[in-house]
Amino acid sequence: MNEILDRNIKDVIREFPALEQVLAEFSIGCTGCSLGTCQLKDIVEIHNLSFDHEQLLMKRIATIVYPGQARTIPAIARKTQQKSNDTKLCPPLRELVDEHTHIKRVLGLLPDLLKRSDLAPERRIVMTGECIDFIRDYADAFHHAKEEKILFSYFDANSDIIASFVKEHETGRSHVRAAREGLAANDAAAMGQHLTAYAELLAEHIKKEDEILYPWMNRSLSDNQVGRLFSEFANVNSQFAEKTKSHVARIARMEQTLAHKADPVNAA
Amino acid sequence: MEGCPGSKMVDFRTEKTQTETGTTAKAVSQLRQWPVQLHLISPTAPYYQGADVVLTADCVGYALGNFHADFLKGKSIAIGCPKLDADQDEYVDKIASWCDDAKINILHVVIMQVPCCRGLLQIAQQGVAKASRKVPIKYSIVSLKGEILQEEWVTAAA
Repeated sequence: MNEILDRNIKDVIREFPALEQVLAEFSIGCTGCSLGTCQLKDIVEIHNLSFDHEQLLMKRIATIVYPGQARTIPAIARKTQQKSNDTKLCPPLRELVDEHTHIKRVLGLLPDLLKRSDLAPERRIVMTGECIDFIRDYADAFHHAKEEKILFSYFDANSDIIASFVKEHETGRSHVRAAREGLAANDAAAMGQHLTAYAELLAEHIKKEDEILYPWMNRSLSDNQVGRLFSEFANVNSQFAEKTKSHVARIARMEQTLAHKADPVNAA
Repeated sequence: MEGCPGSKMVDFRTEKTQTETGTTAKAVSQLRQWPVQLHLISPTAPYYQGADVVLTADCVGYALGNFHADFLKGKSIAIGCPKLDADQDEYVDKIASWCDDAKINILHVVIMQVPCCRGLLQIAQQGVAKASRKVPIKYSIVSLKGEILQEEWVTAAA
């Protein structure tokens, strides 16, 4: 079975579409990944499958890829000693999850902001500009920079899983650039299209980070690395402290504005 | 009334001893400093500068069969008893000094499962809360028979 385990997950699913359902049953959602170059054998480690689940998954894969053939199911060697899935996230990773909360609040505002007819056009432009500023300043220059410049440096930057998340950051940046250009050119359609695409991409990206990437990293980081990450994050946090406060306050104001507009009686 | 679990007599001599595994060679000490008792240490000693520090309750080293290899190796240490030691305000100040002056990397608190031991974790959290420079705290709870019952990261007390 090694020849199939060494292949990229996307190529394998393309050739054997029935595998998508099998992987989904084990809560492995690789079909949604924009890169899909992780090898099939790496999935087991990233999702920290128990030995029993690993064997069951491999048997199901063998049934689809090699129907009617008897195949030896290999035990997949794990690169790192994996801690239990029950381990709570270490403080630096928990901090990133908390930052996702603010980002998700803004992503949640965007659909309403883009579609509301009761907002004056000038107000909509200002608030959309504020959302774009938040995305560039907080989500990207602060949060994603901590991931790319600090967190990812503790892992193999050439690994497929890290590369896939970096690629999604870059795709997000191109959508934000295009949205800014749309805003500057007064092209509401282009701006709306790119902000909507960005919101969908980020929502899925955050879900994968919270549920897969960060738990995998949490299991792999040593205590010494956790301490160093904590300290490096603290340095960045102190530089952004005032901006972070101002952005969080701005989100609350926008949420209040939109709630008030939606329900002027009860939102007051 | 049953009395304090921390001093309750427990005799498990008749229980089957766990089969020993691995080499029978003499274990090498991983202690790299002196003193170790928290009242005696200077928090700015060179072996605490930027170090990963393990703060253990007095009894932990006796309960854990592989304490040196599994917990002490590569780390600096201090020990204390939250039930019997006097002047524990000094402990809080020393832990704060570890954070601010020695700039330790992490603080790993290892305590026994008996309720009184929890006080050492609280002292650690108070010390880190008092400091301007925060460090992540991890804690492990050890059973009377040397098993790790719980291990996780915590945030400092507000």
